[in-house]
Amino acid sequence: MKQTFSAQLAGLMVGTASLLVPRRDRSAWTAEWTAELWHLCHPHGCDSCDALDADPVEFSVGAFHDAFWLRCDHIRSSGWPGLQSGSAARCALFLSATALVALFLCLCLPGARSALLPLSRRDAGNLVMISSNGYAGTQAPSIRFADYQEWTTDTTALFTQIAFYRTTARTVHLPRNPTARLSLAQASDNLLPLLGVPVAHPGTSVEEPGEPRLILTHSAWRRIYGSDPHLVGRTADIDGQPVLIAAIMPDSDWCFAGHIDALLLEDQRNLAAFPSTTKGFVIARIRPSAFPAPRGGWRKMVETRNGVTRGFDCISVTHLLGQPFSVFLFALLLASLALPATTALPLGDYPLRHRRPPGTIDARRWIFLAAKFSLVLVIVDLCSTGLAFGLAASDPIRALYIQLATAFPALLFGFRWILQDQRRRCPECLRLLSNPARVGQASCNFLSWNGTELFCARGHGFLHIPELPTSWFSTQRWLCLDPSWLCLFPETRSPSPGLV
Amino acid sequence: MPAEPRLSHTAAMILQAIHAGQIYGFSVMEMTGLPSGTVYPAMRRLERDGLIVSKWEQQSIADAEQRPPRKYYRLTRAGKSTLEAVYKRYPLLERMIPSPEQEHEVERR
Repeated sequence: MKQTFSAQLAGLMVGTASLLVPRRDRSAWTAEWTAELWHLCHPHGCDSCDALDADPVEFSVGAFHDAFWLRCDHIRSSGWPGLQSGSAARCALFLSATALVALFLCLCLPGARSALLPLSRRDAGNLVMISSNGYAGTQAPSIRFADYQEWTTDTTALFTQIAFYRTTARTVHLPRNPTARLSLAQASDNLLPLLGVPVAHPGTSVEEPGEPRLILTHSAWRRIYGSDPHLVGRTADIDGQPVLIAAIMPDSDWCFAGHIDALLLEDQRNLAAFPSTTKGFVIARIRPSAFPAPRGGWRKMVETRNGVTRGFDCISVTHLLGQPFSVFLFALLLASLALPATTALPLGDYPLRHRRPPGTIDARRWIFLAAKFSLVLVIVDLCSTGLAFGLAASDPIRALYIQLATAFPALLFGFRWILQDQRRRCPECLRLLSNPARVGQASCNFLSWNGTELFCARGHGFLHIPELPTSWFSTQRWLCLDPSWLCLFPETRSPSPGLV
Repeated sequence: MPAEPRLSHTAAMILQAIHAGQIYGFSVMEMTGLPSGTVYPAMRRLERDGLIVSKWEQQSIADAEQRPPRKYYRLTRAGKSTLEAVYKRYPLLERMIPSPEQEHEVERR
């Protein structure tokens, strides 16, 4: 009974082990294991052995060892460079995969996505944010409503359209839905046309003239109203004022100061109820002829009706939204300046004694180095942007500081790793060198060894790294080996662990 | 510089076991005391290096005995010459796993 059970278990194990064997060898191995297992379980049928005490399960455990060896051998012999340890392709694949993961995470985080993607609106280059002196790019409102009202008529030579908004928190009542307190951008009704955001109005809704319209963000619609498909067209109550819920807009359509749940668009008659000292934000579309190149930021002097001339900053919206990349470029500059202070820049001496044409060797090395730099730049840009704008801060100014604080050390350490990695690679096959050995004897330099040597497992040569710069080895030097040395290196022969 | 095949002790034991007449994988395991996970990969390497060859027995023979066909191994000429060279490196190998000829010689003495 026990023997039957162990035989069945062993058969099951052999069947499982056969699944691990590469497909091309599976049938032959399964047949051999099965045949041997049969003879193991039926010793009287075997002429050549007397294995009465042999354990079929033990034999089957060995089948897993066989399968594992076969799988490893298959991977090694398939020659796919991506799986070879220390290869350049493996390094590039790892960096590319990291960059793709970082990109995916950034696209999943709304804040990071809007910081990464360019503004895709119509004529976005002519949009400016107007602010008082020192308030450009901040979250603080700086324009008085009275100034905005004057500009709507007095600055037609500068702007074709001008819109105002202020952020406020209001309680929204909606029948059959929970009462919610929403962060609103209370704005002039020309804001969305000015921004070039198309808002689809539901055909079923009947909009009263002058009735304010509420545009919910997608996240607020989902979070507060449970993605109710019948919400658009209904009338809500905000502090006793009926408001038509006109549309749902994507979160990415709002990329200006202030985190909001909805836009409350009101006509000029309703806005006129604002106190004149109410401060808010002003967005305008410029007349290109009135704003000289280069585009980015201008300071405009505007004379008020009472004869006072005041200066205002007009900052291009694309410039404001492009600040994360500008901060990344600044971090890149800082890291490039700091790099020589933290690590040696030379990559070592590589005499032109290769087996392949020297131009090919050098081109491959430099292309690999450039690819590593490019991928590290992309990874750090994505990770710092994602961390700063997606996870850490809703305040854009704080996010920019966080991005600078994360991008600079990441770039510095990334560049150091790139140079160190490049120095530890064979110039011919670009694989990592192995088997470091300390060489030399105690000498007048008071070191117990003079240097370290690493060799290429494929026998292309070895790298001598002096512990101290000397007159004969001022820096690390690559020493080529001619083909007669190849037999000493295991990877130059076909792998044959049975032979020593 | 020609690479002279130098067998590990495990590979040499397996080669000697096959030379001694243990022509099936399991019988090699029994003779050498090595586990399955060692013997089969080593035999595959020896086969790949041309020191042994394998062959499936005829299906009709297996059918007549109502059992699955077995795969058997034998030494090639290169395997025999390699084994001769290996005896110098592992002199106790012949005593551990004597071949029929060696046993016959011992009996004659």
